This record gives sequence, structure tokens and C-alpha cells, in this order.
Amino acid sequence: MLSIESLSKNYRKSNILRDISFTVNPGEIVGLTGENGAGKSTMLNILATLSRPSAGTITLHDLHYQRNTKNVRKQIGFVPQDIAIWEEFTVEENMIFFEKLSWKNKTNKQLRELCLDMKLEKWKEPVHTLSGGMKRKLNIAISLIHDPLLLLLDEPTVGIDLKSRKEIGDYLHKQARNNGKMILYTSHDMDEIISLCDRVFCIGKDPFYYKLLQDSGKNPILL
Amino acid sequence: MKGILKTRLIHWRKHWIPLLFWLLFPLIVAIGIKSVTDVIQDDTKVPVGITIEEETNAAMKLYQEIKETPFIRVFKLDEDKALYQLKKHELDSVFIIKEGYEEDIHDGERNQLITSYRSDLSFAYTPVKEMIISYIQQETGRSKAANVIQELTEHYHTNKQYSRAQIAEKSKEIQKDENLLQTSFSFSDSPVDTHKKPQLISIWGLWAVLSILSTLLLFDWVIKEKRTSVIKRFPFLRVSIKNYMLGNIFLYSCLLFIIDLLTLLVFNLMFDVSINVWALVSFRMLITIAAYLMANSFKQTFLFYTLSFAITLLIAIGSGAVLPAMGISEKWAWIENWNPIHPFLTGQITNPWLFIVILFLAITFVRKEKINA
Repeated sequence: MLSIESLSKNYRKSNILRDISFTVNPGEIVGLTGENGAGKSTMLNILATLSRPSAGTITLHDLHYQRNTKNVRKQIGFVPQDIAIWEEFTVEENMIFFEKLSWKNKTNKQLRELCLDMKLEKWKEPVHTLSGGMKRKLNIAISLIHDPLLLLLDEPTVGIDLKSRKEIGDYLHKQARNNGKMILYTSHDMDEIISLCDRVFCIGKDPFYYKLLQDSGKNPILL
Repeated sequence: MKGILKTRLIHWRKHWIPLLFWLLFPLIVAIGIKSVTDVIQDDTKVPVGITIEEETNAAMKLYQEIKETPFIRVFKLDEDKALYQLKKHELDSVFIIKEGYEEDIHDGERNQLITSYRSDLSFAYTPVKEMIISYIQQETGRSKAANVIQELTEHYHTNKQYSRAQIAEKSKEIQKDENLLQTSFSFSDSPVDTHKKPQLISIWGLWAVLSILSTLLLFDWVIKEKRTSVIKRFPFLRVSIKNYMLGNIFLYSCLLFIIDLLTLLVFNLMFDVSINVWALVSFRMLITIAAYLMANSFKQTFLFYTLSFAITLLIAIGSGAVLPAMGISEKWAWIENWNPIHPFLTGQITNPWLFIVILFLAITFVRKEKINA
């Protein structure tokens, strides 16, 4: 379980995140939404150990974030908003490249299966020839090579077609339900958030997203 | 390390043409420039024709002596062909070593041993003629000395008998020791060997300058890889960005050093020149680490390339590695002392720049470690 207690983040006298507490259970997909600049990415960076909170504690199962940063990182799969892959490599070479530097050794067959699970079939194709959707799938697949417990995704479906979006959503759903992964997901796409997430947290003062989610029948939690 | 090697091999496989080009660039360009300058040097030599009517030891020694003279290109031809070429002004002058040359030398006979021809355009005739005369005088003198010694030995019935060859050999030894042309003269306590052949281009100096350029340009991967979003993944990988970079510096150093050893072998075979292997190791470490540090401080490849060319040019001019710049080094000795190429060219293993770049590398990584912590 991911547990966040009384988390705050200050930056140059301004209070970006204030006294936030919530938990994410295994097998659960949690959405994080809010207007631009509300602190979604800051929150995700803190949960990814890339930034330190000004106050509060975070634990992943029994691992305290600040005391066990290295071990916590082993359990995190981080999918950055930018597509963080080698454009001149093929899908296969990208998977092998990150596997060689990863915490877990995997065979080529296992890596290929990981891609096929995401409906990423163009194994030998150079990445620069792939569609945006395929690149996004590869971006996620690379983050899953070391079988992390917690998957943090920063707007993973931005700018891609509906079919790919659906395939990614289905895959994440399967990962949570079948493999018990904890998934924390930021997005501006309300439809996606509503259909995919078990719980939704709204960050920021603007009530727009909160009301929108309420109207859709989802019970959002305001942070 | 195995993992880093495999990831680097994927990169190298993708860019094998530019990689191979920059790896072999210093070796090929150095050989190319050296060969071109050698051809130019040969073309500026004065062509002189030699005809040998008898292939005796003495005649061949004279031929060899003329051949080894700097700034003269000798063509061994028969008389008719030599004179024909002289008429066409393809040869500056022609010298014919006559039949009976060796016998005459033994007899101490100095006249009419050589027949010479010149044209109205000959300008090297007199110096070559003087050189031949001087050589013949030296040989006949030696022969006369041998004759006198043998006569004296016979006259005084001494126990020890000396052959002509022994006397000639001893005479050559004395000549070598006493030869003023090969004596080391010195100005202000800095000895200069006058018997050293002056070289227009130092092949290792040229290679060192080209190597700096190629290593710098090869290290553009640091800027390109740092610029990508891929860098964001490293906190979640087993290999930290620090170890990934250090591992790659090591791999590049090894790859470049293999090419350096190949260069050493090729230069040795082609130009009969060598260099201290440890000085080569030290120089390779220096330029590889320096290239990494420089690339690491840039975000734009264009600026990096511009500075790389500028630095190479500056080192090339300042070092005198490519063209002799003794005037500069005599006036400002510190330029030579602080030049990174200088210790390498003089075969020194310890290079002060190496310690400086290692220190900077350590500072860079300690700082990076603190930022990542």
C-alpha cells in the first residue's frame, strides 16, 4: 500500500501542496486531476522520489521514502509525460537497452510478450516510424520491465488516437486487477479518468474538475 | 559493466559509419598528410644522374654516399639515357663512375676517376661535384695512409701486421669521433644534435592533434544523450547515470586505445617511428576524460563542435607538433610546458593535464552524486 500522510510542498514561499493525505491500495487505479499548475506533476515527482516534500511522510508497503529511496525506486515504474525512448532504435533494441540497465533480468521472449500484451506488435520496427500511440505503449512497456509495484503515469495518453487510448487503458486495468499493481495516473481527459480510475483526486482551487466529476457520478476527493 | 557494454554496442551498431570514420580519422589523415609532404619534399630535390661502369664495393659506396645526400634525388642510369635526359633538362647533372675506379682509389690515384656532365641550366652541379671530390679525396687519403702504414710495417719489421681493411676501419672510427659536422654544439646550455635529420612534419605530433579533434567529436554522444528524455529513466534503473557515464568513458577509452595500438604498429611499419606505450596510455586517458568533461558542459552540439575545432587549432599552432615552431617555444617556454601534447611527444608518462582532468572528473561526479541524493 502507498500511504501519504500530511504531505506539503513549498516552493519560494508559495504553498503548492498543503497537508495532503491519502492511500493507494494494491490493485487500485487512482486518478489525479486538476487545472494546469495545480501541482499534479509536483505530486507525481514527489511520489517518484524525484523531488522531496517540505513536510509529511510517504511509505510504500513498509519502505519509508526518505530512508529507503533506493529500495523505493526499485518498486516504482515511472512513465514520464515526454516519450523517453531512443528514436533511432527498434522496439526490440529499446526494450533490450533498458533491460540491460534494469533491476530485473528478462529474456527477449519475456520482453516481447510484455510488448504484445500492450498490443505493440512492431518488434523490429525503428521507433521513429511508429505512430504516436505505439510510442506511448513502448514508453509504458519500458517502465514495466522490472515489474514495479507502483506505476506512476504522467499524462500517458496525451495526443494519441482513441483506439490506442483504449488499448492502454485496458492494459493498465489488467495490470491492476490481475497483478495487484498500484497505479497513479494524471490526466486532463475526464472521460478517461471516469472510465479507468477507481478513485479520483482533484488538486487545486478551481472547482471545475471537481464539479465535472461529481456530475458524471464519480465521487471525487478534493485534496 | 557488461550491461553498459551491451547498451553501448547497440548505439555503436546504429552509428558504425561515423564511429569508424572518427576512429580511423587520425591514422588515415596523418598518413595522408605525411605521404603528400614526402612527395612534395621529393619533388623539390635536385635530380642527378649516376652511371656506374663497374659494380665494385668502392663504386657502390660512392653511389650510396651521393644517394644519402639530402636535397638530391639520384637516378641510376646508363650513360646514353642519362645524357639524353640531361639534354632534355630532366636531370640537373650527370656523373659517370669510370671503369677501374676501385683500383685507382687503392692506388691513391685521384685524377679522371669520374666524368661529369652539366647543362646550361644546371645549378646543383658544383655542390655535387665538390661533394664527390671531397669523398674521393677522403677515400684516396685513407688508401694512401694504408699504403704508408704497410710500407712502414715492412721497413721496421714490426710483429703486428695490419690489413688494408683494418687500417681503413680504424681511420673511419677516428673520422667519426673527430668529425666536426657531427659534434653537438650548444647555446645557453641547451644541446642541439647537428647530426639529427631535420623533419618537416612529426607524424606523432600530427596524429596527436588529429586525435584530439576526433576524440572531441566522438564525444558528442554525451550532449546528444543528455538532451534526450531517456535521461529521466535513470533514477529507476539499476545503473545510475553516473555509473553509466563512467562506464561509457571507460569503453570509449578502451576502443580508442585499441586503435592507438594499431596506429603504433602502422607508423612503426611505415615510417619506422615509435613512441612510449605508457605515454600513449597517459595521453589517451587525458584526451578521453577532457573530451567528456568538455562535452558534459555543453547543451548545443554546434557550439561544442566550434570550440572543438578552435581548441585543436590552438594546440596545433602552439605545440609546434605539426610545423616546427622553435621560435615560439624559445621565446615563451611556458607555451611548450603547458601544451598537453608536449609530454606525449617527449615520451613522458606523467602529464600534469591528466591530474587536472582527473580532479575535475572527480569533482563533477561528487557534485552529481549530491544532486541525485
